[in-house]
Amino acid sequence: MPDSEAGRLSFKLVYYGPAQSGKTTNLLRLHDQLAPEMIGEIMTLETQDDRTLFFDLLPLGFRAPSGLLIKFRLFTVPGQVAHDGTRKAVLSRADGVVFVADSARTQETNNAESFQTLAANCSRVGLDFEHLPLVVQFNKQDLPDAVPEQEIRDRWSAAPWPLHFASALHGVGVRETFADLLRATWRCHAESCELASKHGLDEAGFVAGALGGG
Amino acid sequence: MEAGFDREWRIDELLDAATLGRTMDALTALAGGELAVLGADGGALWGRAGEDMARRPLVLELEPVGQLAGRGVAAERLAGAAALLQQLMRVQVRYKMASSLHLEAVAEDYESLRREHLKLQESEARYKQLSAQLEVRVKAQVALLEERQQMLYEAEKLASVGQLAAGVAHEVNNPLGFLRSNLSTFRHYLTQFAELKKRLAEGDAAWQALDLDFVLTDGEELLDECIKGGDRIARIIGELKSFSHVDHSTEEYYDLNECLRHAANVIDGQLPAGVELRLELLPLPGLVCLPGHLNQVFLNLMRNAGQAIADARRPGVVRVSSEADDDWITIRIHDDGVGMTPEQRSKAFEPFYTTRPVGSGAGLGLSSARNIVLAHSGRIELDSRPDAGTTVSLFFPVPRK
Repeated sequence: MPDSEAGRLSFKLVYYGPAQSGKTTNLLRLHDQLAPEMIGEIMTLETQDDRTLFFDLLPLGFRAPSGLLIKFRLFTVPGQVAHDGTRKAVLSRADGVVFVADSARTQETNNAESFQTLAANCSRVGLDFEHLPLVVQFNKQDLPDAVPEQEIRDRWSAAPWPLHFASALHGVGVRETFADLLRATWRCHAESCELASKHGLDEAGFVAGALGGG
Repeated sequence: MEAGFDREWRIDELLDAATLGRTMDALTALAGGELAVLGADGGALWGRAGEDMARRPLVLELEPVGQLAGRGVAAERLAGAAALLQQLMRVQVRYKMASSLHLEAVAEDYESLRREHLKLQESEARYKQLSAQLEVRVKAQVALLEERQQMLYEAEKLASVGQLAAGVAHEVNNPLGFLRSNLSTFRHYLTQFAELKKRLAEGDAAWQALDLDFVLTDGEELLDECIKGGDRIARIIGELKSFSHVDHSTEEYYDLNECLRHAANVIDGQLPAGVELRLELLPLPGLVCLPGHLNQVFLNLMRNAGQAIADARRPGVVRVSSEADDDWITIRIHDDGVGMTPEQRSKAFEPFYTTRPVGSGAGLGLSSARNIVLAHSGRIELDSRPDAGTTVSLFFPVPRK
C-alpha cells in the first residue's frame, strides 16, 4: 500500500535485477528525461567500483487536481548475490517493481536466478508477487551479444508482464518502461487510493503527471 | 519493528538538539542576525520564531520538511544559511537511511540464518529418530533370523532322527518278519503233537504218519533262527541307544572306533544298493568327548558318502579309516562318488547350503558337523574332485598324558 500522510501519497517503486544490468543507469536517465512538477536529486548511498552497495533513490512528484501531492520514490537494489539481505530490505514495502535484465546471452542464468530471488523475496517481505505491478526490461539491447528481441518475446510469450527493450546508457526505452510501470501501479492502487474518484486522477493523468513535459 | 529506512524522515530526527545548537550558533554568527528553525508543523526547534521573520523552506526531497526563519538577516544570507542547513540534513538522511537499512538487512540475514538453522535442527531430529528406529528394526530382524535359524536347526535334527528311525524300523522289520513266520509254523507243529496224543494207541505208526522226526528237527532250527533274530534286534536296539543321548551333553572317555562301529552298524542296512561300507580301523587312544554327538556326525558323513555314490549311478565303496599318532587322531570317510565342484566345495560348510532338492534336508549336515568337531578342539577338512569322489578328514587332538 502506498504510504499516505496528510496531503501526500507516496509510491515506492523498486528497480530490481542482477548485478550490473543497468538499474542505476535507468534512474540517472529518468532524472534527465522526466520533467514532472517536482523532481529531487538522485541520492546515491554508497558504491564500490561502480556497484551499488545499498541503494539509489530518485524522488519525484506532482500535485493532483485535488491538491494531493503524488510522490514517487524510485529505489534500486544492489544486484550482487551477496547482498540479499539488503535487497530484501529495499524491496520490502514496494508498490511496484521494474525487473531490469541484462540481454547478453551469457547473462541468461544470472537473470533467471535473480528473477527467482525476486519472487522468493516478495513472499519473504510479505508482497503478493502475483498481483504486484511488475514490468520486465531487457537492457543493453545495443550490445552485439544481446539476445534478439524476437527470441526473448517468444520465450516470454506466456508471461503476464509487459516486456520492454532498452539501452539505458543511451536513454532508449527507459521512459517507456517507467510509463508502463506507472500504468500498472495506477491500475493496482487507483481504487483503494480513490485516485480517480476523489483526486481527479485517471490513468493518463497519473502517467502524464509523473512523466511531465506535456 | 519501527518504520523502515525508507520512511519520510522528520527534521527533528535528522537534526537533534545538540547538532542544531552547534550549527545554528555558527550560522547565526555568519548571517549576522537572529535565526530560528521551525518544524513541518511550524513549531520552533531552535531559537524563537516571530510572525515578522522572513522564511526559507528547508527541502529534503521534494517538499519542505521545515523552515529557516530570520530577522535582520540579508535575503541572500538567509538563502545561503538555508542551503547549508539543507545540505547538512541531506548528509544526515543518507547516514540515517544507510544505518537503518543496514540494521534491517542484518536482521533479515539473521532471520534467514535462523530459518536455516531451524530447518537443519528439524532434519537432524528426523535423522536421529530414523536411526533410532533403524536400530530397533535391525535388532528385531536379527532376533527373527536367529529364531528361524534355530527352528530350522531343530527341524534338521528331527529330520535326521526321522531318517534314523526309518532305517532302524526297516532293519527291525526284517527279523520280525521271519520271527513271526517261524513261530506260526512252530505253532502248527504243536498241533501235530496234539494229534499224536489222540493216536497214541497206534504207536510208532502214528509217529511216522505224522512225520514227527522232521517236525522235531525243523522246529529246533526254527527256534534257533528265532533266537538269532531276537539277538539281532537286541543288537540294533543297543546301537540305537548310543544315539539316544544326543541332547544329554555328558562327556565320556571313549574310543572313537566304537562310535564309528555304532554308526556303521546303524547305516549299513540303509545304504543304497551297490554301496559297500568298508571299515579300516587302527587302534586309537581314548578321547574325552560327547559320543552321542560324534555318532551323529559320523552317521551323517557316512550317509552323505553313500548318497554321493548313489548319485554317480555306479557301484562304489565308502571307506572309513582311523589312525593316530602322538598328536592327532585322524578319521577319514572317503567315497568314490560324484564329488563336488570347487564352488560347491567352497560353500559346503555354510549353514543351509544344500545341492539336494527342497525337503531332503536343510543343508545343515556339514555345518553342524564342523560345529561339533570344533567343540572337540578338532578340525574338519574337505577334499573333493568332481566325478572322482570326496574325502572328509576329521582331526582330534590326542590328550596329553
